[in-house]
Amino acid sequence: MFDWLLWFTQMENSKPLALVLFFGAFCGILIYLFTGKQRARRLESYKYIPFDDEPPQLDNSPSGHQSQSRKVMDNE
Amino acid sequence: MRHEHIETNSALMLLLILVVISIGGLVEIVPLFYINDTIEKVDGVRPYTPLEMRGRDIYVREGCYLCHSQMIRPFRDEWLRYGHYSLAAESQYDHPFQWGSRRTGPDLARVGGKYSNQWQVQHLKNPQSVVPQSIMPRYPWLLENDLDYSDVGARMRALRATGVPYSLVQQEYDANVKRFGKDIADQLDISQGQESLLKQARDKNFDGLPNRVTEMEALVAYLQVLGTMVDFTKYEEGYFAKFR
Amino acid sequence: MAQSSALPVEQYNFDIVRKFMIVAMVYGVLGMSVGLYIACELAWPFLNFDIPALTFGRLRPVHTSLVVFGFGGSALFATAYYIVQRTCQARLAFPWLAEFTFWGWTAGVALGVITYMAGFSQGREYAEFEWPLDIAITLVWVCYIVVYVETVRRRSQPHIYVANWFFMAFLLAVALLHIFNNLAVPVSLTKSYSLFAGVQDAMTQWWYGHNAVGFFLTAAFLGMMYYFVPKQAGRPVYSYRLSIIHFWALIFLYMWAGGHHLHWTALPDWVSTLAATFSILLLMPSWGGMINGIMTLSGAWDKLRSDPIMLFLITSLSFYGMSTFEGPLMSLKSVNALSHYTDWTIGHVHSGALGWVALVSFGSFYHLIPRLYQTKLYSKTLVYVHFWLATIGIVLYITSMWVAGIGQGLMLRGFDDYGNLAYTFIETVEFMHTPYVWRALGGAFFVVGALVMAYNMVMTARASRSEQAALEAKLAAKLAKA
Repeated sequence: MFDWLLWFTQMENSKPLALVLFFGAFCGILIYLFTGKQRARRLESYKYIPFDDEPPQLDNSPSGHQSQSRKVMDNE
Repeated sequence: MRHEHIETNSALMLLLILVVISIGGLVEIVPLFYINDTIEKVDGVRPYTPLEMRGRDIYVREGCYLCHSQMIRPFRDEWLRYGHYSLAAESQYDHPFQWGSRRTGPDLARVGGKYSNQWQVQHLKNPQSVVPQSIMPRYPWLLENDLDYSDVGARMRALRATGVPYSLVQQEYDANVKRFGKDIADQLDISQGQESLLKQARDKNFDGLPNRVTEMEALVAYLQVLGTMVDFTKYEEGYFAKFR
Repeated sequence: MAQSSALPVEQYNFDIVRKFMIVAMVYGVLGMSVGLYIACELAWPFLNFDIPALTFGRLRPVHTSLVVFGFGGSALFATAYYIVQRTCQARLAFPWLAEFTFWGWTAGVALGVITYMAGFSQGREYAEFEWPLDIAITLVWVCYIVVYVETVRRRSQPHIYVANWFFMAFLLAVALLHIFNNLAVPVSLTKSYSLFAGVQDAMTQWWYGHNAVGFFLTAAFLGMMYYFVPKQAGRPVYSYRLSIIHFWALIFLYMWAGGHHLHWTALPDWVSTLAATFSILLLMPSWGGMINGIMTLSGAWDKLRSDPIMLFLITSLSFYGMSTFEGPLMSLKSVNALSHYTDWTIGHVHSGALGWVALVSFGSFYHLIPRLYQTKLYSKTLVYVHFWLATIGIVLYITSMWVAGIGQGLMLRGFDDYGNLAYTFIETVEFMHTPYVWRALGGAFFVVGALVMAYNMVMTARASRSEQAALEAKLAAKLAKA
């Protein structure tokens, strides 16, 4: 009944196994990233981070984006 | 689990990066030390004698590996040009390996015995004098500089620490006699390093200068042993393919 | 508002960025000139002059170390320290430690190249530094990591921006690679023997060698790209989600690919097959990154017409795309059989190193110069001049190396009607003379371009100083009046 488990004990099967695992992880990440409108909007909002910090005298973009300048440490 | 958790936590991010970048190296390198067939079972490959070893140091010092490979591939043209393809066993005592990555000049894995000592000396002194179209630099200082062999014992000890069977105690010496024969075992004995270096230089006189031991002497001694250790006539065609 | 106008100088440590940028340019010009010199040695061997320190074998590591570690490394220090401050909106942590990394790195590279010329070398490509320097570099690197990570930890921005992920991966991977590849048993201060031998040593070395390209010359420069391309374009990166998959896939896959440098050697077939497979897969994240960078300009392509800095950045991405296509191609065993050991490899490396690494660094520096010196760039025309010199140089370089490499590869495997070798080795050497001359010419174009940039930089700095002085004089006059 559990004979199929023996398949995992054989060294030569490590390659297909690793392939399935890695490819599964890859597909998982893809699905996570590219499904869900909400998630897409949320993730894409982080791309504006470099513009949070325009030094005033060089700022020529009409960005209303201002730094939160909130002190945040890890895990907060 | 959201990607934001990783993005907002530098420690977690560093940890994950470390895991992800470690996998490839671990899978590809670690087994090379454990899989027995990685290095072919073959007779004849021995550590370099003290003189050859010093020659190899000069080979590394001058950066010869940047223009000359020491790794013949299993192709017909390379077979015709250089000889039998290189075995992993043949570089098992090479610290560091000198397989090279670019052939601006020809492969040297089996250059040993291909030319006379005299030709080698002349060629190193002035390559264009024997191969007019050659673009190799001239190395006249190899004949001018006397070889420094004062620290040959220290070098052998360091190589022994990496696993090269140079012998320090009687037991190791006996093992070498059994493995390589008495003549070679004597030359691999660290306590006699300088004497055997001088003896080989005197007997073979690689540089053509009977009263001196030059850097040329050591380098030519090294070049002349390259690829000559394995007697390929002893093995059947296809024997080595098993290990690939 | 009056208070915030002082922000950039007050808040950020630009001094260290400026220093690293200057030293990057100095090492860059030096390293490229040495490269040009050794290219000429191959075309006209009398240039070796029978002087040991000037022979090709000793100068080649001088060239590679100066451009990779001296130019590339310093450029990475400069941009990493700049980007981490700007995207985390935090001042650089431990300024004295950052100062130490500057002097340590600069001195390390200088000592390294001097010792190569004296003949002290580990005999491992791109890792020729002898062990005392390796230890010193490790120390500097650890300090680099500490400064960088602590600055990230002190961020006032909750998210760590994607450029910083690439830099973090680069910092960790390079530490790992450097330490394991340089394990050695020392004989004296100037000589050591590598711990591993033969096939294991070869695999370790090319695991290092390939990932020096993958993490030092790619991942970290992608971090540069993810910051400077959006900033220069004035618009955010094309897709943040693409950058997530780009990042993880790239750092995972790169580490497997090193074995493709050892196809058909005594390395067991299973490793080289695995390495080839992963090299092909690597095309996807590489092109994902390239598309992400180039598409950032989507809808603003006209910037390419008006902004030479954008031209640098986008051209660098195009070369990145080209060489990451060529790489997987060359990792195929059948192609590699021809290309390996020939100048095709050299050409490939330079399409990446000149086309991608150098151009993206130049572009980023041009973006940085006005910001670091608080004035405008001395000459925009000279930026165009530099761009065209560099591009022509690269094209000459790559095409001549294709000719030399593919030509030599084909000649070496040529047979006559009787099954004998059609050419002797020396005939291939003769054949390569012409492409070698063209290559040297390409290199010369590139060096001149870098010199033009250095001139532009110096003039900007001088203008900045006189402007500053004028401002101070005005202020003093005002004060005196008051």
